[in-house]
Amino acid sequence: MHLDDADGALDSWARFCSLSGELVGGAGDLSVGPRLAPVVADLCARGLATLVRDYFLHNLEETFRNNAVKMFWQKFHPYCNSSAVERIKFCVQESWPEDVLSIALEDICLEKSYQEKCVLVLVHVLQSYEEKTENKLKTVEFSSSLMPRYQLMVSSVLLTTLPLSFPEILNIYFKKKLEELNTMMDGSDETDLACHELFGRSKVSAWDSKMDIDGQETVISESGNLVRNIGKVVRDLRCLGFTSMTEDSYSSAIIWLLKSKVYELAGDDYRIPVLGRVKKWIQAVPLQFLHSLLAYLGDSVDYESGLSGLKSPLASRPSSFPGIGVPSEALLRWHMRLEYFAYETLQDLRIGKLFEIIVDYPESSPAIEDLKQCLEYTGQHSKLVDSFISSLRYRLLTAGASTNDILHQYVSTIKALRSIDPTGVFLEAVGEPIRDYLRGRKDTIKCIVTMLTDGSGGNTNGSGNAGDNLLEELNRDAENQENADYDDHTNIDEKQAWLNSESWEPDPVEADPLKGSRNRRKIDILGLMVSIIGSKDQLVNEYRVMLAEKLLSKSDFDIDSDIRTLELLKIHFGESSMQKCEIMLNDLIDSKRTNSNIKTSLLRTFETVAGQEETEMSHDVLDATIISSNFWPPIQTEDLAVPASVDQMLSDFAKRFHQIKTPRKLLWKKNLGMVKLELQFEDRNMQFTVVPVHAAIVMRFQEKPSWTSKTLATEIGIPVDSLNRRIGFWTSKGVLTESVGPDADDHIFTVVDSMSDVNKNSIVNESCEAFQMTEDEGESSVASVEEQLKKEMTVYEKFIIGMLTNFGNMTLDKIHNTLKMFCAEPSYDKSLQQLQSFLSGLVSDEKLEMRDGLYLLKK
Amino acid sequence: MKVKVLQWHAVASWTWDAQDETCGICRMAFDGCCPDCKFPGDDCTLIWGACNHAFHLHCILKWVNSQTSIPLCPMCRREWQFKG
Ligand SMILES: [Zn+2]
Ligand SMILES: [Zn+2]
Ligand SMILES: [Zn+2]
Repeated sequence: MHLDDADGALDSWARFCSLSGELVGGAGDLSVGPRLAPVVADLCARGLATLVRDYFLHNLEETFRNNAVKMFWQKFHPYCNSSAVERIKFCVQESWPEDVLSIALEDICLEKSYQEKCVLVLVHVLQSYEEKTENKLKTVEFSSSLMPRYQLMVSSVLLTTLPLSFPEILNIYFKKKLEELNTMMDGSDETDLACHELFGRSKVSAWDSKMDIDGQETVISESGNLVRNIGKVVRDLRCLGFTSMTEDSYSSAIIWLLKSKVYELAGDDYRIPVLGRVKKWIQAVPLQFLHSLLAYLGDSVDYESGLSGLKSPLASRPSSFPGIGVPSEALLRWHMRLEYFAYETLQDLRIGKLFEIIVDYPESSPAIEDLKQCLEYTGQHSKLVDSFISSLRYRLLTAGASTNDILHQYVSTIKALRSIDPTGVFLEAVGEPIRDYLRGRKDTIKCIVTMLTDGSGGNTNGSGNAGDNLLEELNRDAENQENADYDDHTNIDEKQAWLNSESWEPDPVEADPLKGSRNRRKIDILGLMVSIIGSKDQLVNEYRVMLAEKLLSKSDFDIDSDIRTLELLKIHFGESSMQKCEIMLNDLIDSKRTNSNIKTSLLRTFETVAGQEETEMSHDVLDATIISSNFWPPIQTEDLAVPASVDQMLSDFAKRFHQIKTPRKLLWKKNLGMVKLELQFEDRNMQFTVVPVHAAIVMRFQEKPSWTSKTLATEIGIPVDSLNRRIGFWTSKGVLTESVGPDADDHIFTVVDSMSDVNKNSIVNESCEAFQMTEDEGESSVASVEEQLKKEMTVYEKFIIGMLTNFGNMTLDKIHNTLKMFCAEPSYDKSLQQLQSFLSGLVSDEKLEMRDGLYLLKK
Repeated sequence: MKVKVLQWHAVASWTWDAQDETCGICRMAFDGCCPDCKFPGDDCTLIWGACNHAFHLHCILKWVNSQTSIPLCPMCRREWQFKG
């Protein structure tokens, strides 16, 4: 060779150019190889190897770009050039983009594989030259780097010409295919068995045998076929250098499908667990898909194949998947990733609806159980706390919600969350705003006591056993718990837990929930309720007032349910706290006995007195509740002149009491009690259960049919305005009519003796509602706790007003502390809650204002 | 119109009707009970001395038993005798 021969070089170069043109542009003719060899060898010997390589690659690039790439993208132009709306039309076509994509990929890959053969021709030529020359180091690089450079060229040409919407097309493709696969699985009835069978068969007969050669006549299941088609597309895409774009694309399609599956399964029904079904579905659809895909692509490394030397921490995880066998590590990663995503999706979904779920509790406990498992996996409890608090503020802690509703939701929240969070740490965070809000409501204590002790009231939405109060339920729970784990839960513990509850503080956030609830304090619903009120004494006091009211408006001595409630309260609050209440109930029991003693002796006496008029009342109709007034809350007494016949009975009864219990005496509280009356008219009879003052009023109308309010008030011994208020009961029942008398402020009331001129139909109604009046028309016989407190607090009012005049505005704490420091006579002994409730009374009396937690004088 | 009373359920409180409000020994209300008792009334009765001072029965019995010499009324220091 003549290396310095410039003409020879030019000649060789010209021949190389024409031969490579012939090769690259030629329609599949690779026979130029032998002719190319000497030319390339000559050029390399002249040190022009770089030039040879670059020219050749450039030639390939030009051809690839101008033919294959152009045609490839052209196939997607119709979609890419469409508006967003028009694109939907493409998406709804069944075979789009599948057909376009697979044809386009086939074409371009065909072209590429031809070019690869061309590259190989040059590689061989270079290799054989390299083998002949000693100077290997220099040329080795060229032969071995040619193919990688070619691959790089292909993918960079494609990526630089990539239309923006191509990833979108891929995404649509995978979504559609996965959905198709999912529908197939659904068709197989979603049962384990079906999945097993379908995949079990396809694994053995389809995958393993198919893997070696495409197109062999094997019985391939539908889904196997589908995955194979997808696999082909993925393989082609990878071959073109779209590896990561493709992976992103099917990953996001899988995630999308998983998300919609979770939404579909979870829905708004909280009564069925869904987590198990989601997990099953993950194994049945996406994992099967990935398994098949990875296997098709040859990516999976099975442990079975003996390559288990690479131990990963995941290796000890599930040993076998249904229909898959021992999964590859890639598949295990996918499994964890998908499960995590499913947990997180379901968790977010449930957290978003937690308010409704808790309203439905305990029917919704399957949803709560799911949520618990999700949170254990994701550890995102704080998400729950934040979201739930904001929905509480928005939906529950508003002026429109009744205190009862708030309390019921609070209790449900406690019950629901304690299963998620046995340590109570998150419950504490969630409960705080509810408790704060409830403390600002005046009827909170009353509602809590009603809820705890009253089976019929409170719980109006029908859940829970009828006639069962919260206390009863709590007790049953405690008994069940005791039976379940008596070793760490004895009665002493219960009491201690109760004592602790007042000084209770939340655990630090980092407290390990896995440490188990066993060694930790149990979540004490009652304790949490009491912490709203402030102290158990206030709760007990309110209960006592409500009990007094209830007992004093009874017309019998049936107190079985109250005794049961008292026993339960004693368990929780201690006997000494409940002693006054116990005495009150004991008074009723004693009264019953004393009544029957007195009545038998009275009847015996009066039987001997012959000629008693029939109209005269028998002592049989009189019952008396005899109270130990020192142990009852302050009782509102009012003068009342009962009819003479009744008065006679009362004094007979009192005399007999004095005889039996001497030297004890009875003091009648004539305005209290309950009276059952029958009003007998010319054309009708009506029965009523009323308070004594109502009875005293109506009985006066036997003497004369018309009374002015002033004379009647004097007769009965009550103020006129009080009479006017009470007599309204009888006019509203149609028993009396009202007319204006000669004196403008003195009304005349007349009995309606015949209904003939009034509506007769109302008779039926009257007898129906005869015994229902006490609820709203009965009057409170006991001073409420609020009234008592108001009385006690009034002495401090002037201090408070004085302080606010000086300081302008003050927080609750500041007022409380100032009173504690400076109020010596009388000394200030009230709790913060009592002060707050007094202040809110002053606010509603418009004496004070409250703004941003500050109290100030109302101007 | 005639009114027939079917039932009259009245309310009354009882009292020992003693001169003082509280027992001179335990300082508890007469109409309450002594510190040892749970229920007032029948279970914890009052007793009058010849001097006309009244005490919870349980209180004066304890007092009498604790005296080494002749028991005196804690109020008037006269010799204690139960009123006949
Ligand atoms: Zn005493
Ligand atoms: Zn006693
Ligand atoms: Zn004396």
